[in-house]
Amino acid sequence: MILPLELLIALVVWGTFVGVDLVSLPQMMIARPLVAGTVAGAILGDIPTGLKLGIVFELLQYDILPVGAVRYPEYGPATVAAVATAHASAGVLGLGLGALVGLVTGLFGGLTINLLRRVNSRIIHNAAARLESGDPSALVRVHVGGLLRDALRAAVVTVFGLVLAWLARPLLGGVLSVRGAVLLAVAVVGTALAAGAAGTLRLVGRGPNLAWFAAGLAGGIAATIWLR
Amino acid sequence: MAAVKRPLALALLRLFAVQGSYNYERMLGVGVGVAEEPLLRDLDDGKYRPAVARGAHFFNSHPYLVGLAVGAAARAEHDGAPPDQIERLREALCGPLGSLGDRLIWAGWLPLLSGLTLAAVALGAGWIAVAAFLVVYNIGHVALRWWALKAGWTHGTRVSVALHHPVLQKAGALLGPAMAFAVGAALPLTAAYLSAPFESWARVALSIVAALSFLGFRLRGDRLNGLRLSLALAALALVVGVIWQ
Repeated sequence: MILPLELLIALVVWGTFVGVDLVSLPQMMIARPLVAGTVAGAILGDIPTGLKLGIVFELLQYDILPVGAVRYPEYGPATVAAVATAHASAGVLGLGLGALVGLVTGLFGGLTINLLRRVNSRIIHNAAARLESGDPSALVRVHVGGLLRDALRAAVVTVFGLVLAWLARPLLGGVLSVRGAVLLAVAVVGTALAAGAAGTLRLVGRGPNLAWFAAGLAGGIAATIWLR
Repeated sequence: MAAVKRPLALALLRLFAVQGSYNYERMLGVGVGVAEEPLLRDLDDGKYRPAVARGAHFFNSHPYLVGLAVGAAARAEHDGAPPDQIERLREALCGPLGSLGDRLIWAGWLPLLSGLTLAAVALGAGWIAVAAFLVVYNIGHVALRWWALKAGWTHGTRVSVALHHPVLQKAGALLGPAMAFAVGAALPLTAAYLSAPFESWARVALSIVAALSFLGFRLRGDRLNGLRLSLALAALALVVGVIWQ
């Protein structure tokens, strides 16, 4: 992946916004892979690739219910890196390599979120006396510090993903056969579809909503057959 | 009225960053304190600092509904409620706000719109569907944050009344079935869209991988997740792909 510097900067800036949106500010869902991927595709002038990888990671996102302090992978900046990888390799090879880079970036992003929360805990623990005094400037300083650390974290995750994207093609593109590239894409897309279905069923449960899910599934299958 | 509107607007703006210092010690507590602070500025000197300190204590709930607790606690401080009553109010709100927000947003509004967007993209709507998702989702998002803050500020310690608002009850009843239907319909359409560039043997392989993975998630959901299984299968596919030239 060789991109002009201005495109690389745009991807890092976008990935940082996406990473910050996930938890810190403003949670308007640009962190959703569908949005992150589409805009990354638009930056690269390749919206179809952005949409395709956005859908793959959106399905994987259904596996996650961000309740309490649960730990989860971060698929937003991961999708940006995945789209950058896929843009450099045409067709199914791009889909497979992009998804692989995105998965590794997502894993790394999840680890950094956990690390950041631990660092924040320590800083807030150390500032307990000032916070208990009710000093508003100390409160705002601690909070803004957390926001800035998250922005730095998101930028690091995006850069990590883009470095992987840069390495993917020369390291794997040459040794992977066409069939191998297809297998890679099949493995990731198949798991993503399964994760999407299983994650939705966990939300739906065994109550009356299950019938609505079945009705939707039947309608979707009918529409798919009709459109072929 | 204008004197109240400005602190409320400032509190709302700060609520968008309520999780900015998310941590395992106070969870959202510091963010809640930062959001509540503008509403406490007109308290007497002796009351202001203790109220700010209380606002930053442990708090955890759904981020979009935190405003309810922020408004209610600030109103209670103005009404001169005893400190331990305000602490109890905050503690009592964590669970209900968390479960209501999770049900309405994470398990309702968000997957409903995401499912509709997936289906629309699979049917050829392209980036316009994604833009529509962002706009529609955030109309609900911002409206909920604003309603929560205003309801908390209006009701104070009697904020539980707001949690029984008929619109919330109706939304909870409608979003579950709508979400289930939308995502159910989106899955086959998405599968067809993603498998379009594959040859027939690859489509058969895709069906097998998806079916076995689904079984794995259903039977061993406690150990397996999408990321782990995807990485494991991708690594396996890489090895096979390098050998199978």
